Amino acid sequence: MSAQENKPKERVGVYVCHCGTNIAGVVNVGEVSKWASDNMKDEGVVISRDYKFMCSSLGQELIQKDIKEQKLTRVVVGACSPHLHERTFRNACKGAGLNPYLCELVSIREQDSWVHTDKIAATEKAKAIISGGVARVIHHEALEPLHVPIHPATLIVGGGIAGIQAALEIADAGFPVYLVEREPSIGGHMAQFDKTFPTLDCSACILTPKMVDVGNHKNITMLTYSEVQKVDGYVGNFAVTIKKRARYVKTEDCTGCGICWEKCPKKVIDDKFEAGIGYRKAVYTPFPQAVPKYPVIDDINCTYFVKGTCKACEKFCPTNAIDFTQKDEIMTVEVGNIILATGWDLFDARRVPNYGYGRLANVFTNMEFERMSNSAGPTGGNIVLRDGKTPPKSVGIVHCVGSRDKNYNNYCSAICCMQSLKFAHLVHEKTGATVYNFYIDIRTPAKGYDEFYQRIIEEGTLFVRGKVAEVTDAARNPGEEGKLIIQVEDTLVGKQRRIPVDMVILSAGLEPRSDSKALAKTFGISCSADGWFIERHPKLDPVATMTEGVYIAGCVQGPKDIPASVAQGAAAAARILGKIQQKEIALEPVRATIHEEQCSGCRICNTMCPFNAILFHEDKMVSEVNPALCQGCGTCVAACPAGAITGTGFSNEQILSQIDGLLLLTLDKKETVPSGS
Amino acid sequence: MNENVIVSDPPSAGPLMHEDLELLHEVALLTPGDSHLEMCIQCGTCGGSCPSGSAMDHTPRAIFAMLRAGMREEVMKSNTPWMCVSCYYCTVRCPQDIHITDVMYTLKNMALKSKMFQDTTASDFSKTFISYVENYGRSFEIGLAGIHNVTHLRLAVRLPNMVPMALGMLTKKGMSPLPPKRIKGMNDLKKILKRAKELEAA
Ligand SMILES: Cc1cc2nc3c(=O)[nH]c(=O)nc-3n(C[C@H](O)[C@H](O)[C@H](O)COP(=O)(O)OP(=O)(O)OC[C@H]3O[C@@H](n4cnc5c(N)ncnc54)[C@H](O)[C@@H]3O)c2cc1C
Ligand code: SF4
Ligand code: SF4
Ligand code: SF4
Ligand code: SF4
Repeated sequence: MSAQENKPKERVGVYVCHCGTNIAGVVNVGEVSKWASDNMKDEGVVISRDYKFMCSSLGQELIQKDIKEQKLTRVVVGACSPHLHERTFRNACKGAGLNPYLCELVSIREQDSWVHTDKIAATEKAKAIISGGVARVIHHEALEPLHVPIHPATLIVGGGIAGIQAALEIADAGFPVYLVEREPSIGGHMAQFDKTFPTLDCSACILTPKMVDVGNHKNITMLTYSEVQKVDGYVGNFAVTIKKRARYVKTEDCTGCGICWEKCPKKVIDDKFEAGIGYRKAVYTPFPQAVPKYPVIDDINCTYFVKGTCKACEKFCPTNAIDFTQKDEIMTVEVGNIILATGWDLFDARRVPNYGYGRLANVFTNMEFERMSNSAGPTGGNIVLRDGKTPPKSVGIVHCVGSRDKNYNNYCSAICCMQSLKFAHLVHEKTGATVYNFYIDIRTPAKGYDEFYQRIIEEGTLFVRGKVAEVTDAARNPGEEGKLIIQVEDTLVGKQRRIPVDMVILSAGLEPRSDSKALAKTFGISCSADGWFIERHPKLDPVATMTEGVYIAGCVQGPKDIPASVAQGAAAAARILGKIQQKEIALEPVRATIHEEQCSGCRICNTMCPFNAILFHEDKMVSEVNPALCQGCGTCVAACPAGAITGTGFSNEQILSQIDGLLLLTLDKKETVPSGS
Repeated sequence: MNENVIVSDPPSAGPLMHEDLELLHEVALLTPGDSHLEMCIQCGTCGGSCPSGSAMDHTPRAIFAMLRAGMREEVMKSNTPWMCVSCYYCTVRCPQDIHITDVMYTLKNMALKSKMFQDTTASDFSKTFISYVENYGRSFEIGLAGIHNVTHLRLAVRLPNMVPMALGMLTKKGMSPLPPKRIKGMNDLKKILKRAKELEAA
């Protein structure tokens, strides 16, 4: 493309930011600014400046003053990534009466000064990047944001402590909530625990009042034993399809009296709530304080469903609430926003063969221990060996099982240190046994946590610094006979030790839910390589996601304790309340459009869109983009073989001009492409 | 028995002077592939797992801490790498994917080159092993154990507790008391070994 011959039709201002020394330390910003005004007059550059911090109010005022005095029609800022300050500069332009979409922010920091050390080459590259921005901005159009109304209801998926907190915050503010929980009761993992660190208050005592509030709240519709199947729509207007599994119990008639599960002859090992060390019946509520109080019949194990006879529950139910004919129900609800709070799964300790779980009877997992220590649990709160009666005289608690380990999960599970200290206390208190904690590092950074550690040391727990190498029952001397031997290097002594104990508790780590990737796909959000859901910004936006209207709270975002999960639940609720109160939402107008007459109906774009924004009209055999769902990523634009899709804000013209600009092809031939940077 | 190995040197007075901060890096560079040695978090899984751990004067973990602290002489004089039986327990279990067994080989190499390791028994064991490979193209456990013990006149001292092991070796399938047959292509192997030595010298 040759340099434009006609008089430039736009008046462009170029602003080069120093970002302190972030950019100016590598790029000669003065030179870049001067180069732009000297060399891009033909492109329409009428003014070019450099400034220490363009994003400061003084920097923004500089741009606004120029827009007014120089009658600028386009603005190019060379600074940081658009993720950071695109909105700042657009708003500055808007403040001076220029349509915000006529401003282009190009990154000479992330894409230049931060990744290069050669100052001369980096300066040349900055010129090219600015030139690309100028060439592109000329083709920008004035755009208006899309305004859509917000449905005041919120969907919360997962009724653990994070979801419960969020539900109560929103409902208390007067807005409707649908709380979808997969299990027969809300409560999540917290309902299984005995005491909670660091204060050791009884978990049920602090949790159940909140569960009861949820159950009674006029603004909360609880959908337990249910799962989300499909999500359509977009922020402000989601349509969510939910499957309510058949309970085989008429909740209108059931009083929760418990006669059915008393009479039910079918015992089932409860590997969910009782972590595999206790039983439930085929008709059951997971625990006495369950909310809602109505049981469910587990149709996989129920004798009637398996053999066709029994119906003991039906016979004895005083209110005739049992109904074997119930079917799964599918329902659709409309909501404006969504919070995902589906929590975590326990790392499967069988995966570490050298720790012997599943092979050595008296190796327990942390969840088994929680149930054992809980007075409502299978042992009535007695800490005993697998035989169900012998209290241990010595117990070894192994930290970091499956965590901080490249063979399993790289990350720290964040709660295991505190949980192991809590266990040390409980064992001491209930059995008087000798307790060892085997750790790599003790991590107790939150409020009151290190004080708790001090307390446990004082109580006499023995700490051995070393990651356990193996747990074995192969005795080497008479003292080890009949014991579990923990082999470890005591790294503070620098010697191998073999410590015989009666019981080993493995502090297995937290993992993303096994179905987390599928769930992320349903809601159009992304998960990290580990499977935790990714927040919009790790520091500044921890509960939002990259998908507008979808928020995350609690362990679904990463391992954390109860206080942090509660804080996130409340934070997500506050974000949503802020949105609901605005009644409508402004969406970025940067969207893809499919030109119907060019679309061949091949449907290639349909599956490629990461936000499920493209629908297909079977009648017309053409695809259409839902502008409220589209995030303007451009995937479909590039994928369409017929070239039928254009993206507002990223038209072919804009992209090709920017490339020409980057290659300095838009300028006079006297400038050559910088070499070797 | 050599005192330098069995009894550690009396701690020298005063703090360690960090003069040799290149040591860790040097060991990493001399180890083939990426050993991830710099990534050790001092968890002790290796030391806890090692079947020779109790015979070592420092556990593998402690050796890595000493490398970090630049304690060249102490590491070179340590019996740790020589006690390593290449079982790979540590390497398989290490949470940081550190190629510990490979590093043990590097340390043996460095100790021989620096001539700092003073107990000759272990390094001779390796040399005897290599000489079998050089001559026959395969290893020969019985001959190795025999020659090693004879040359070091330890037989008498060690005999009682070595008998079960020797018998075990003799009755184990696949372990013949006769010297091994030379492999085919001995000349090619010699060429490979020669080239390896040249490369190492370079
Ligand atoms: C052994 C152990 C002891 C602990 N002790 C303490 C302690 O003392 N103090 C402390 O602060 N922290 C403790 N923690 C950490 C604590 O468990 C978590 O912080 C807390 O459970 C996080 O709550 P959550 O709501 O995010 O997740 P969860 O408790 O996991 O709740 C998630 C809920 O979502 C539901 N769900 C999952 N998937 C779906 C789906 N697809 N659809 C619908 N519903 C779904 C689940 O059934 C569950 O009810 C402990 C952890 C462990 C492992
Ligand atoms: S019909 Fe099923 S749930 Fe009811 S009592 Fe019999 S086994 Fe239990
Ligand atoms: S631009 Fe991206 S988000 Fe929008 S419809 Fe195309 S693929 Fe989907
Ligand atoms: S197991 Fe690995 S990380 Fe742990 S001390 Fe040994 S080398 Fe270091
Ligand atoms: S490979 Fe060597 S250092 Fe590692 S555990 Fe085995 S003997 Fe010990």
